[in-house]
Amino acid sequence: MNGNRRRTTNSIEVNFLARWLVVFFLLGLSGLFFVYLKNQQHSVGSQAHEVELALREAEAKNEALSAKITAMTSRGALQRRLDDGYIKLEAIRDTAIARITPALPAEPDGVLRTASRDPEVRFGAGAPQRSVNR
Amino acid sequence: MRNAGARIGLVCGFLVLVFTGFAWRLIHLQILKHDYFSEIAAEKHCFRLPIPARRGRILDRNGEELAVNIPVRTVTADGTHIHDPAAVAAVAAPFLEIPEKELAEKLTTGRQYVVIRKEVTEENAQGLMRAMEAHKLHGLYLEEGAERSYPNGEMLCHVLGFVDHSGHGIDGIEKSFDAELRGQDGFRMIEHDRKGREIVIYRGQEQLPEHGADIRLSIDMGLQAIVEKEVDTTYKELHPAAVSAVLADPQTGEILAMACRPNYDPNNFNEAKPEQMRNRTITDMYEPGSTFKIVIADAALNDGIVDEKTRIFCENGHFSYGGKILKDHHGYGDLSLNEILMKSSNIGSAKMALRMSDEAYYGYVRRFGFGEKTGIPLHGEISGQVIPPHRWDMLTKTRMAMGQSVAVTPIQMVMAMSAVANGGKLMKPRLVLNKGEGDAVEENVPLREVVTGKTAKFVATALQGVVSDQGTAPLARIDGFTVAGKTGTAQKISPHGGYFENRFIVSFAGFFPSDRPRLMGLVIVDDAPIGSSANFGGLVAAPVFSKIGAKAARYLDLSPEKSSAVVQSGTPEHATASIR
Repeated sequence: MNGNRRRTTNSIEVNFLARWLVVFFLLGLSGLFFVYLKNQQHSVGSQAHEVELALREAEAKNEALSAKITAMTSRGALQRRLDDGYIKLEAIRDTAIARITPALPAEPDGVLRTASRDPEVRFGAGAPQRSVNR
Repeated sequence: MRNAGARIGLVCGFLVLVFTGFAWRLIHLQILKHDYFSEIAAEKHCFRLPIPARRGRILDRNGEELAVNIPVRTVTADGTHIHDPAAVAAVAAPFLEIPEKELAEKLTTGRQYVVIRKEVTEENAQGLMRAMEAHKLHGLYLEEGAERSYPNGEMLCHVLGFVDHSGHGIDGIEKSFDAELRGQDGFRMIEHDRKGREIVIYRGQEQLPEHGADIRLSIDMGLQAIVEKEVDTTYKELHPAAVSAVLADPQTGEILAMACRPNYDPNNFNEAKPEQMRNRTITDMYEPGSTFKIVIADAALNDGIVDEKTRIFCENGHFSYGGKILKDHHGYGDLSLNEILMKSSNIGSAKMALRMSDEAYYGYVRRFGFGEKTGIPLHGEISGQVIPPHRWDMLTKTRMAMGQSVAVTPIQMVMAMSAVANGGKLMKPRLVLNKGEGDAVEENVPLREVVTGKTAKFVATALQGVVSDQGTAPLARIDGFTVAGKTGTAQKISPHGGYFENRFIVSFAGFFPSDRPRLMGLVIVDDAPIGSSANFGGLVAAPVFSKIGAKAARYLDLSPEKSSAVVQSGTPEHATASIR
């Protein structure tokens, strides 16, 4: 009996099975990891897209506001507001001006100037050109 | 057993055949028909997303914005993504300002690309997208775009020009520098999913846009505002057919201000009439009248035909030549070159011209730039009209000497007078300082030397007399400065031949300060309906020049000249009072 039973029983080769199980497990794991990475990529891509849209929106809003500010502070707009009396030009009193350069004499046109860009007038004839960079 | 074996063999054979069929089909789809199916897939899911380039701005010389872009969006619909047009219409209608019913009709389409509305503001577009998302609706998409805006409205309209609805420059700087301003659109190859959302990881080839360059003009908006105001006042008070004024730097040829009336608002160019859109300083030619006498004075002096001591008999106001009588406004006897210019003697000028050969005189007219385009970078410039000597009749030379039988454009006159101011060099008018190259500005090289510095200096000094009490334009004086200039009063040419009796184009061209002129100005008033006794360049155009010059000098903070009180005594206000 024993001899017969031994003849009909197949032995399981655990090592062989384990090796293939590990191979299939690793393959499955790599597959899952690949899918996970792909999903992550999609997710990061979507986030990048959202950020791009938000940036574009902010940029467009910024441009629209800049254009609005330009329109509101343009010469034409300011002139209209001046004409309508919404803003007023007021002369700065002479005593309220801190002079960096001496005032020019009020001749011959009777108009006092705050400063002159002409170095000869500011520093006297023949004066060397002064430079800010020393 | 044999039967069983045969059955197994049959099934296996069948399976082999089936799987071979599948394998063949796979090879057919994936390899043989790869290109075909890839194309179909790409057509369905891939497309080229344009990335529009931003149009460059136009700035004045100090960086003030003259033409800017306002971002706007175009709303498009993909009919295949819209399952409930009525629901989408109900959400989108308030943002698109389209009646709900009309919008629902537009959205009920099987087409993949339908433009629903252009030029939707950024605010409305973003609001629409948020509302669509909140209601979980799909099918409406935004495209980027920009609307051109001119913040100063009518100011400088003829120089700036405008763009059409597709963003192409149609007039002015917008047209001349369209290629530089427009830049180059970019693109991105993208794939989208079933709902039309981009699949970012499948982005393909991408080319970033090259944004348009900013154009920095030589125009100074401070001076432009001064010129516009005075031109506007003149146009409203005198009701002429047109008024033009130009301010330039005679040393460099840079145009600092340029204005014409009538004008238009480039933001609403559709409403403008053709005559409002003409930049008359370059598109219109006119007989300049006495301002043209600077040419014969320079020519005769430069060729040694006359000198500062030469005196010319002016026939007491009546000179019979070629069977015609040439008249002066007053009768004069012997006049020097200085006095001929100061009194604006037609006879003196004609006699100087007669002493020159035809070719020599014609040569000087051409060397001053008349009869050819100045090359200002604006479309529509004409070259004026200078008749060549072989077509002259007996009177042509004498008429040309006093600014008749010749037609010039205002910009030509500005550059010719600048040559007198800067020591005899004819400059090319410069309107653009740079094109997106930072602060780099090329030096403006003179086109040619028209006359010697000595000749130019002499004529410039002589022209100071024109603005004195003895000259024709005391009203052109500017407090604190010595002004040199010349008046022009020319009868308008009738389209039926000859001249109109009481219709004039009057002008004044002048420059200051005298030692090193910084500003050159020209004012032209065309056909002001005022009596012929008052319609002179010295009475109509000169005061406008004076007002512009005085304000411009203060704006530029020019140092007053001490000698001006001696050369040109009195004040314009006094002179105005005595004439009126």
